[in-house]
Amino acid sequence: MLKILIEREIRSRFIGSVSGWIWLVVTPLLFLAIYAFVFGVIFRARVPEGFAVPFWSWLAVALWPWLAFSEGLQRAAGSINQHAALISKVAFPRHLLVHSNLASVFLLHSIGYLVVLLCVEWFATDIDWLSLPYTFAVIAALYLLALGLGFMLASTQVFLRDVEQLLPTVLLFWFFLTPIIYAPEMMPELLQGLLIYNPMTWWVEEIREALFIGKRAPDLILLSMVIGASVVYAAGRAMFNHLSPHFEDFL
Amino acid sequence: MNQTLLKLERVGKTYPPTVNAGERVRAFWRLLLSRSGQGGSEVLRDISFEIQAGQSMAVVGGNGAGKSTLLKVITGVLAPTRGTISQSGSTAALLELGAGFDPEYTGLDNLKLNAAFLGLTPADVEAKLDDILAFADIGESIHEPVKHYSSGMVVRLGFAVVASVRPDLLITDEVLAVGDESFQKKCIRWIEDYLGAGGTLLMVSHNMYQVQKLCRHALWLQDGTAYAQGDVFDVTQRYLAWHERRDAEDAQRARNTASQSLYGLSELLLRGAVDGQIDFEMGEVLEVVLRLYSPDGRAPVALVGIVRADGTPVYGVASEHEGVEITIADSGHYIARLRFPNLALLPGGYAVRGHALDPEGLRVHDTMEVEFTVTGRSRELGMVRLEHEWLS
Repeated sequence: MLKILIEREIRSRFIGSVSGWIWLVVTPLLFLAIYAFVFGVIFRARVPEGFAVPFWSWLAVALWPWLAFSEGLQRAAGSINQHAALISKVAFPRHLLVHSNLASVFLLHSIGYLVVLLCVEWFATDIDWLSLPYTFAVIAALYLLALGLGFMLASTQVFLRDVEQLLPTVLLFWFFLTPIIYAPEMMPELLQGLLIYNPMTWWVEEIREALFIGKRAPDLILLSMVIGASVVYAAGRAMFNHLSPHFEDFL
Repeated sequence: MNQTLLKLERVGKTYPPTVNAGERVRAFWRLLLSRSGQGGSEVLRDISFEIQAGQSMAVVGGNGAGKSTLLKVITGVLAPTRGTISQSGSTAALLELGAGFDPEYTGLDNLKLNAAFLGLTPADVEAKLDDILAFADIGESIHEPVKHYSSGMVVRLGFAVVASVRPDLLITDEVLAVGDESFQKKCIRWIEDYLGAGGTLLMVSHNMYQVQKLCRHALWLQDGTAYAQGDVFDVTQRYLAWHERRDAEDAQRARNTASQSLYGLSELLLRGAVDGQIDFEMGEVLEVVLRLYSPDGRAPVALVGIVRADGTPVYGVASEHEGVEITIADSGHYIARLRFPNLALLPGGYAVRGHALDPEGLRVHDTMEVEFTVTGRSRELGMVRLEHEWLS
């Protein structure tokens, strides 16, 4: 059932567009090119100490997980409202809608991510492919975090439509407050200390360390990320289950 | 085999107020903190019933009585505000037209998704696909997007999927009414077959004939409460009687408001009758006199008809048909005279009916009838002598 919903979700994004699958890869690459140009060439952003890689590849490996995360959150938040017609007529577990929305986004971005990693390998620097399992674990934790937040946002948006308006702005702030397009060292001292309170900082740093430096073994950081994400997931799921019987009254 | 498939205990449903944003925010916090709310519109109150396996029940009631809400609560689309619902066995519901269909997708895609909602695995669907398509019988349209479907086709597809599942409990809202005659028959046949094989049905319908045919029990909802429940014939007959009474009351009310403005007949006379004996010989002159009254100074339309004693109409004509103005007698009263020279009616019992219509000639307001007999010696057949001649 989840599989069918995911399939449907993915197909609905390409229905009616001739070259849907190409856009899947081209759009993120163009996006990457713009960021690399603006921040790498115009602002002359530099990679932090310890990374001997070109700026654009340093940016790319962190940008993709973020894109998946932020797009996933936005789609998950709207998943209940988007399927209002279905919910008001068919009884089925509503959490599947959030799951399918998020899973489809992560799946599509994983394909893009693989393309990007190959580009990095060919044009920039050697990637430590053996650290891929570790990277995967980090991304899985990110997925769990996104699910938890997605459940919270989806159930909130049923009641408060403002979420839809507010979320893109919040995500934009979050993006710029995370060291994705800049190195943490470029921040003023005062703010640098605060960066560790942004969970996304942990994720992007772990991914970079894994792919470029070769961190392969799970450690306490990964464990704490998984635990944190699990807590958020449990909370989001509990909130969703608590509110979902009343969705139809408010749609 | 006396298993309870569905049991409702004092189920109630109140839709919360959701019109303005403040109410929504309050409702959000209230639900999050599990506090009970107040306000809103109550649509169901204290509904309790049980359905045993193999017993079928119909829900009847006027529009807005809460029938669809009840089904939604039972199927779990809506959460009941009060009371408990317990269920066992598999359930499939056909709630609304195009329920769960995405208009952008083809019929086949929607079919698969719907089947998944009903608990079929893709392998099951593959195995049953031919049956489903044969039942739906919509041909090549299955590969078209559902947005191009007619409402009948949507129901066909929806019902075909449900039929393939054969649930323990089948719940249908008033959707079958959309299908055409042959498809409705097919569905009824399928349901009868399904019931015969031990299936259980909970249906909403306005078709009492269908209800009586398919269900043994009925629940009559009225303004969200169970007005009556029990044997299907008792309930449906009371329900229909209630509707008739209400229609009669409506008519009565309409008559009361219009009583001061009624057109009527005060007298119907047949001239030519001798000594009150209303016999005519064939070929005599029949003269009909109507005395009518009008409350508003406008002349009513007079209609005169002749019928056989058994009620078969022979002839009828209205003053309006022939552009005749009825003459005024005194204030509010009018006289219409109609003469049939050379009465062509064959011997037998007849009646003259006089009607008073409003000046527009649209509604009959009053009717009077006088019987008469035509005598004579004739062995001709029929009711009227038509002018004729034999040619040699």
